[in-house]
Amino acid sequence: MNRVWLVATLPVGAALVIAALLSSGVLADPVVYARVDLSLLAVFAGAGLAGGAGLALAISSRVNRTIQRRVAQAQAVQAADRRRFLGRLDHELKNPLTAIRVGLANLAEAPPAAQQEALNSVTLQATRLSRLIADLRKLTELETRPLEHTPVDMADLLNEVVAVGQERTGEPRPIILTLPQVPWPLPPVAGDRDLLFLAIHNLLDNALKFTQVHDKVEVRAFEDGPNVVIEVADSGPGIPVNDLPYVWGELYRGQATHSVPGNGLGLALVRAIAVRHGGQTAVRSRPGHGTVVTLRLPLDAHRPREE
Amino acid sequence: MNKRPTILLVDDEPAITANLAPFLERAGFAVVTAVAGRTALRRIVEAAPDLVVLDVLMPEMDGREVLRRLRQDGNWTPVILLTQVGEAAERAMALEEGADDYLNKPFDPHELVARLRAVLRRTRPGERPLATAEQLTCGPLRLDRRSRRAWLADKELLLTPKAVGLLEYLMTHPDELVTRERLLDAVWGWDYPAGTRTVDTRIAELRRTLHDDPTQPRYIETQPGQGYQFIGAVEAGR
Repeated sequence: MNRVWLVATLPVGAALVIAALLSSGVLADPVVYARVDLSLLAVFAGAGLAGGAGLALAISSRVNRTIQRRVAQAQAVQAADRRRFLGRLDHELKNPLTAIRVGLANLAEAPPAAQQEALNSVTLQATRLSRLIADLRKLTELETRPLEHTPVDMADLLNEVVAVGQERTGEPRPIILTLPQVPWPLPPVAGDRDLLFLAIHNLLDNALKFTQVHDKVEVRAFEDGPNVVIEVADSGPGIPVNDLPYVWGELYRGQATHSVPGNGLGLALVRAIAVRHGGQTAVRSRPGHGTVVTLRLPLDAHRPREE
Repeated sequence: MNKRPTILLVDDEPAITANLAPFLERAGFAVVTAVAGRTALRRIVEAAPDLVVLDVLMPEMDGREVLRRLRQDGNWTPVILLTQVGEAAERAMALEEGADDYLNKPFDPHELVARLRAVLRRTRPGERPLATAEQLTCGPLRLDRRSRRAWLADKELLLTPKAVGLLEYLMTHPDELVTRERLLDAVWGWDYPAGTRTVDTRIAELRRTLHDDPTQPRYIETQPGQGYQFIGAVEAGR
């Protein structure tokens, strides 16, 4: 603050000195009657300059403070994210590890007949841990992995995803796929077909996982300006409002989802894939009514990180 | 084979070598272990193993460096690299290294045994393996592994990078029945949901480009319910 006053008063002082010099006639001046006006002008100019400089400094220090506050906020958010992630990781590791330790104790103490069961359980939990590690690795890989950049026929891809989804469910589940035909079909998206398949598959897999046999699941795609929009909608239980902001987070699992198998990395992968394709994700949900997840992909992205 | 093949197991994690050694011994191998790159290079000279299983991530001298030095010395002992999940995607560097196969950690030990047997079956002792060849040819088909390009007769083939990786893996493992799961692990480096379809889509792309009729294949044969096999005779080009 001191600096602001110094900068503000210095030009005023200088202007007063100049004005005094001008009016006293110390300086040789050809136009005598203009002395007083000139000195006044100098005072005003100095005051204006001082005001301007002071204002600029005040604004800049305010902007600085705002930036500092924003940085601090971002750091706090990041720290909170990190804490949440570590908490979830702890949780995801704790359960299979506990099961493995119990299984091993059983293996050592149980009669031979019960040993096979313990062995199966330990194997299952070890596989679960392997999958968790593999998925975490995928997430980090996705940021640096070279992407293929070929025209992907989205209609073909969506048909395949839906076919796989139908195979996946034990009982027949009607999945309605709506694709535009007129005035023209979906244009191709430039991208990595395998990753796009993975992303849309995860969305449909979630829709099928979190709904019952009688629920409806729809996959829709349409062109919207420079994007292709893919929506996966279901008439399931919906996501609680409080959970909504976190669904894209790594290892996040909603309160109501713990009975459903999964490790909470599916949507995080979808988002990472969307970002690598220059696209976006969004979710709308109403508890008791259902959920719509949207994947928006640019038709011809200028991917900053691609060759 | 009248003698148990000797495997040198190199990993800086004793928990892994301690568990893996008895497992491999039960599977019919003689096992020697090393916990660091330098020791590994010494053991290769001393024990002359039939195959080396080499962890990539090790302190001081990592697995890639060990392999590079080995090949620089003109030693063609087959090597299976234990890599991290996903690294397969960046295996253009595979050629410089000259590994005979890869396995992603964490792996199923039965899969390692299957890999060991496949590599040993393919290997002609003292002969330079296809895995270290810069160019691979099969009749009119030519693959340049360094530039990641392929030609049929003199016409360059338009292939996606993934399809080139697939062709490379199949051509460096000729006459071997490769499962779709194995191809996913080795070429994609990831498991994908419905991954077998992902493989089938790329195989179809390869066949179209190679004008290879699946009912009368010259190059890639489907083993129904099992996987794929490169049936053409592959030679190392200059």
